[in-house]
Amino acid sequence: MSATLLPEDLPLDAHRRTQSAQRGRYGFFPGCVAKESCKELFNSTMLLADKLGIELIELTAASCCGASVVNDVNRDVARVLNARTYAQAEALGLDDVITICSTCTGHMRAANKELLESEERMDHANAILGKFGATYHGKVTVRHLLWLLIDDIGLDRLRAMVVRPLNGLKVAPFYGCHIIRPESVNGWESARHPHSLEDVIEAIGGEAIDYAGKTRCCGFHIQLEKDDVAANMVGQNMRMAQDHGAEAVLTPCPLCHLALDGYQADAAARWGRTDLPTFHLPQLVAFALGVPADRLGLNKHLIDPRTILVERELIA
Amino acid sequence: MAKITLDIFRFDEAVDVVPHRDAVVVDIPETTTVLDALETAKADVDGSISFRRSCRSAICGSCSMNINGITGLACKTPCNTVMDETGAIKIDPTPNFQPMKDLVVHMDPFWDKYARLKPYLQPSDSDSAHERERRVSPDDMKKLVDVANCVMCATCYALCPVVSVDPAFAGPAAIAYAYRFIEDVRDGQRKERIAQISEDYLWLCAHCYACSYCPKHVDPNDRIIDVKRAAIKDRVLMNERGPRHALVVTKWIKKVGMLHETELIAGTIGRFNVRGLLKVAPLGLRMAYKGKMPPMFLKPIPKVDEVRTIFDALEVPVS
Ligand code: SF4
Ligand code: SF4
Ligand code: SF4
Ligand code: SF4
Ligand code: FES
Repeated sequence: MSATLLPEDLPLDAHRRTQSAQRGRYGFFPGCVAKESCKELFNSTMLLADKLGIELIELTAASCCGASVVNDVNRDVARVLNARTYAQAEALGLDDVITICSTCTGHMRAANKELLESEERMDHANAILGKFGATYHGKVTVRHLLWLLIDDIGLDRLRAMVVRPLNGLKVAPFYGCHIIRPESVNGWESARHPHSLEDVIEAIGGEAIDYAGKTRCCGFHIQLEKDDVAANMVGQNMRMAQDHGAEAVLTPCPLCHLALDGYQADAAARWGRTDLPTFHLPQLVAFALGVPADRLGLNKHLIDPRTILVERELIA
Repeated sequence: MAKITLDIFRFDEAVDVVPHRDAVVVDIPETTTVLDALETAKADVDGSISFRRSCRSAICGSCSMNINGITGLACKTPCNTVMDETGAIKIDPTPNFQPMKDLVVHMDPFWDKYARLKPYLQPSDSDSAHERERRVSPDDMKKLVDVANCVMCATCYALCPVVSVDPAFAGPAAIAYAYRFIEDVRDGQRKERIAQISEDYLWLCAHCYACSYCPKHVDPNDRIIDVKRAAIKDRVLMNERGPRHALVVTKWIKKVGMLHETELIAGTIGRFNVRGLLKVAPLGLRMAYKGKMPPMFLKPIPKVDEVRTIFDALEVPVS
């Protein structure tokens, strides 16, 4: 059923088996938020990589991907900034750039698509990169860690690595937007019937909750524009999740995390208290793979996820 | 032929207090469109089932509805792409609208926002001053044709999560249609139009791409970005939070290569807007307590001068 809903121009490179994947050595683009207010995401990603036996080589000189914001100012700058990042990956012999933020994923893939689809745009970018001696040859694929887990590690292997299964913890997957939409850019799975997060939740011993809010926006990008609207978007989605039995939420995006973790309290007046703890994808997977809970930065969350882990007898 | 069960939302605002559902079984080929399935149900089983339609070929924009959780044109949706294993299709009115009768909804909020655009050309001089027709070059026209394909079906409006919590937001279709006039070389009201749509919360779009499912490929999400760029280029209402936010993010990426979370909060809300800052303060304090505050000072990324070279080469505005 879902296959028929995919656009014809599905970008199959999302499933490409890269050389980086074959060697287990990936370019790694953490993004700004994982280096600033969500450091626990960066740290748990590195701990997870260790457990998975893969090497994430951080592109330390990479710039911000431009998020959805610099596009509002100039139509070319995000494309060229990201071409610079891809050139850095290529120079290190890496053809795969792994992200841990949905907004990075969506915008970096969009930039790459624009470059790969038009020689003119590629030449335009390279003319600017040339001013400092860099070139992008178009060899890079941008993928999210979530896709790496499923395509490169594989759900069966992941299941076999679990040492601390989640005991049927009821987890609401929260995809948000930019890891699935627009499908013509992401296309790893159907944006209307995604199941990657559910698959991972089940592989690590949790129970995935289904609810309509899982593919809806968290409002992060308009928090500073009108915070009550953003809070209501969080409240609406978390209300649905809780009504369907969720005990916790899992998200592949630190921006979604900031919104869901930060704004449930503000949304309570209209949507009732939900207080659902939100896990970053690598936090919960690393936990199931045996990384000690106290190394995952769970204490940094506004809604403390340790409470539910204690209740479910997953930690003491 | 297949037996398809249409599970239809039923409600008549004139008599009902609460809606109910009717299951209607029709025997039709599975490739039939949902609209034709509804027509069969209406003709053969229950003549009172109400829904809007006219063209049956995705041109009139009447038949948008929610089909097994997915909003789109019923006349463009074959049953076999949406029915579940049991051959059932759940049909509801489009979300974000008040139901009137069954699948017919009150469209007024959608039309109101459209009417506010003054959706007709307003040239800067009178027609009598023109000896010939007003000409548009093929290149200038190319920018408009995709948006002109909008059939005002409101699918995008129904899908928009911002509309669902803030009905004051213009919504995707109206902003896309504003673009159609803003970028029309014959129009003389460009700045006024940008101001009007900015006041109707242009900058409240959350960039979620839900409206990328427009059945006519208008891609309102991309047109919204075009209108924002037009606002910055023409410097319309630059003191509002939206353009300030865009520019402060851009400025700091140029300066340090990264997004600067602390600076962008102060820069967007306004350093001297004490009330605004106090409003985000409780969240800030909660975050600080958890050691979650973004750093006050950011070290530039290595080779940040390369980033600045890119910004300069493209003449990107940063204020
Ligand atoms: S999307 Fe956000 S976190 Fe990712 S690089 Fe861009 S600004 Fe930074
Ligand atoms: S869900 Fe939120 S953070 Fe995630 S992509 Fe959408 S708006 Fe951005
Ligand atoms: S933009 Fe597309 S979805 Fe929105 S009203 Fe127009 S045709 Fe319908
Ligand atoms: S991209 Fe903007 S206008 Fe389109 S659905 Fe999302 S919030 Fe609404
Ligand atoms: S009946 Fe005209 S668009 Fe569907």
